[in-house]
Amino acid sequence: MAVLERSYKRYAGALSPEWSRFLIIPRHAFRDVFRSKLFTGLYALSFMAPLVFAILIYLRHNTEALAIMKLSVVNVLPIDATFFLTFVEIQGWVGFFLALLVGPQQVARDLTNNGLPLYLCRPFSRSEYVVGKMSIVILLLSSITWVPGLILFGLQSYLEGWSWFSQNIPIASAIFLGSLVWILLLALLTQTISAWVKWRLAASAGLIGLFFIPSVFAAILNQMLATRWGNLLSLGSLIRSVWAGLFGTFVQQAGQVQRMRGGVIVETAMVEPPLWASWLILFLICALCLWLLSRKVKAYEVVK
Amino acid sequence: MSSTAETFQTDGSINAGSSLSLWLRQIGAIMRLDLKKNFFGKRSLLIYLLAAMPIGLLILVEIVNPLGRTSNQLFSIYSIFYNSMILRTVVFFGCAWIFMNLFRGEIVDRSLHYYFLSAVRREVLVAGKYLSGLLTSIVLFTTVTVVCMLLVFFSHYYAESSRLFLDGPGMNQLFWYVTITMLACVGYGAFFLVVGLFFRNPIIPALVLYGWEWINFLLPPLLKKISVIHYLNSLVPVPVSEGPFAVVAEPTPAWISIPGLLIVTALVLFLAGTRIRRMEVRYGSD
Repeated sequence: MAVLERSYKRYAGALSPEWSRFLIIPRHAFRDVFRSKLFTGLYALSFMAPLVFAILIYLRHNTEALAIMKLSVVNVLPIDATFFLTFVEIQGWVGFFLALLVGPQQVARDLTNNGLPLYLCRPFSRSEYVVGKMSIVILLLSSITWVPGLILFGLQSYLEGWSWFSQNIPIASAIFLGSLVWILLLALLTQTISAWVKWRLAASAGLIGLFFIPSVFAAILNQMLATRWGNLLSLGSLIRSVWAGLFGTFVQQAGQVQRMRGGVIVETAMVEPPLWASWLILFLICALCLWLLSRKVKAYEVVK
Repeated sequence: MSSTAETFQTDGSINAGSSLSLWLRQIGAIMRLDLKKNFFGKRSLLIYLLAAMPIGLLILVEIVNPLGRTSNQLFSIYSIFYNSMILRTVVFFGCAWIFMNLFRGEIVDRSLHYYFLSAVRREVLVAGKYLSGLLTSIVLFTTVTVVCMLLVFFSHYYAESSRLFLDGPGMNQLFWYVTITMLACVGYGAFFLVVGLFFRNPIIPALVLYGWEWINFLLPPLLKKISVIHYLNSLVPVPVSEGPFAVVAEPTPAWISIPGLLIVTALVLFLAGTRIRRMEVRYGSD
């Protein structure tokens, strides 16, 4: 058929339900992401820690295996809040590196190639676009953080019995909430940096800079001013406090230091910032990211 | 209507002496072009912010909590500050940004082919770009080093600090800190230049190097030597304690560490030169 004979016809196929349209973006993105061997390898490696933790849980309940390895139950790691907190911390940081590989290119690619109008000219809103892009990171990171975390919790509950499960329900909610907060933060940060920087390398560098440089800054500030309030500048410290709070292991007084002031030795108590301050800063960062995203994700841009 | 095209054959017999002077002129021209981008381009904003960070932090500390300290304490405080903030953070990330942008930036701007189409040997291009990055990083980071040291000492005890610098060990220590910063720019710069050439996503090797340099204190003595930070730490005038878990190793003497670092840098640049000869420009992926 000649091109001039073609005429406009309305799409007659089946429409996706409105609520699940945002999932079209991750479906296509995953196909693209898993084409990279490096990423696939890293993703597979990220299941190492859940495997090790599952073995540790299993070992604690298998007397035969303990006898073969000549170990007593006392010598095996206790399965408590700290055990699951360690798991969330490890998987959280593995998730950071996965997000670093996947996140920064998502919005940037559409913005640099003027691809955004192609999304938004369809029955697809700006918020669905943002949620769709964020869900790439959210789904990927969920599969390595709270999903295996809850499976481990289920395994421990199954082996230990109903009483352990009913006593430790808060641990399950801490695994879920703690992971979700971290994943949301990463998803928002990666998409915001990606939208504003528009260059994959710079966006990745920005994300690394945002995590590592303020941490060093905070550490030196803490050291020189003999305080712990500098931790509010470090994203790593903020999320650690939030996790510790959720798992019930947060200690506000971190110790004491002796300092010389005017020839007199002064003891200063090192007090961590309160938990609400960490939550507030994280909330403000997320709100700022959303505002920045809403400013950048538009169907067209007026260039002056 | 007809058109004619005339072609001219250039004289190919250029002697060795004149080709060297041509290369030097070309290196100079590339340097001038890149220096402008490095200092005044919009990407340089990040470097200025990074460089301003330790200075801002020190000013803040001096305003908020000016503590009474002896000169020995000040020397050790500056040594810790220099090691963790300036060397491992500002110089490392600054060099990563400056040197990776030398080629990756051109690829993103889709302008590398202009260099490749001009009558410049690719090795000359590498040399010109490396020297421009080196000059930028040295100017910025040695300034940070000097300003921070002066801020630590001169903000409160002017007379005592003047004595320390004019008659005491202050000037000698400042010289060594500046030398270490310059050597860090030389070493990290060459590494990041090669990473920018070899890898489409240079963030991963940069992160690996960052991790390797941070865990250096835990490594056995032999592995410590496969890092830049070990040679730089060997030159620090006031050694910093690396904590109870550190594996202690003998510092490498200056007469080995300085030429060693320079030789490794030359080898890495040679590698970059051979790599760029076979490089093809692909703008699609960035």
